Amino acid sequence: MNEDLESRLRAALRPVAPGEAFSQELIARVTADGVSPARAAGRRRFFAPAGWLSAALAASLLLAIGVQHHLQERHQREQGMEARRQVIEALRVTSQKLHLAYVAIENQSS
Amino acid sequence: MTAGVSEQLAQARLGDKNAMGALVQAHQRSVYSLALRMLGTRDLAEDLTQDVFMQLNGNLNSIESAEHLAFWLRKVTTNRAIDQLRRRARIEFTSLDEAGAMFGTMDGGDPLLQRHLRLLLSQLSPPARAVMLLRYQEDLDPVDIARTLDMPVNTVKSHLKRSLEELRQKEPST
Repeated sequence: MNEDLESRLRAALRPVAPGEAFSQELIARVTADGVSPARAAGRRRFFAPAGWLSAALAASLLLAIGVQHHLQERHQREQGMEARRQVIEALRVTSQKLHLAYVAIENQSS
Repeated sequence: MTAGVSEQLAQARLGDKNAMGALVQAHQRSVYSLALRMLGTRDLAEDLTQDVFMQLNGNLNSIESAEHLAFWLRKVTTNRAIDQLRRRARIEFTSLDEAGAMFGTMDGGDPLLQRHLRLLLSQLSPPARAVMLLRYQEDLDPVDIARTLDMPVNTVKSHLKRSLEELRQKEPST
């Protein structure tokens, strides 16, 4: 019973030949001068350049986002520095005024 | 035959295109059939067959003998097919009209067994499928299958036992 099933399996799973056209194309590609796996991928349905194009576009997009992020960060930093400078200036002016007021009060009292 | 293949290997290493062509011719049925029955569609099988022979072209210097060549081709084909299947969510097995090409119904095989076999193969895990094909298509014993798939012999034996049991259960009583 087991042997019968196994022999029928062997019969059903005998190697099958690829199509003649594919076979000839395969031999031509493998024996072609200087064929590299990258060139051989040319027959693929999922053509490699499309993949490269997508990758290049994705990389450009990421780069653009990165540059924009960097510029935005620098702009914010500059705005922060300007605000800090203005606060210090305001404090300096206030301090001067207070000093003048103090001097005036001192003069009046003496 | 082995001496002939060894001679072809030596010539192919020296860049003899005819020798390389003869090697491809001699092994393409085995590689293509493994790829077809592992992956389930003709397109994927053709792509894999081409990739395997292109890889062979770049690795000729590492092939030591005719036996090593056959071993290397089976190993690369089954491993690459298993990798592909693991990347796919589920196998989209061949359409019924391609089943003839898959099992060689032209040779007068048993169509009922072929139908069950197609169903069984589509349900097996990729390694179990590879085990069945190496056993019954390539006629390897469990030790050689274990070497090809880098798998313990006992695992090979249990895959075979389980797959045969499943197939027997699915077969209508004769």
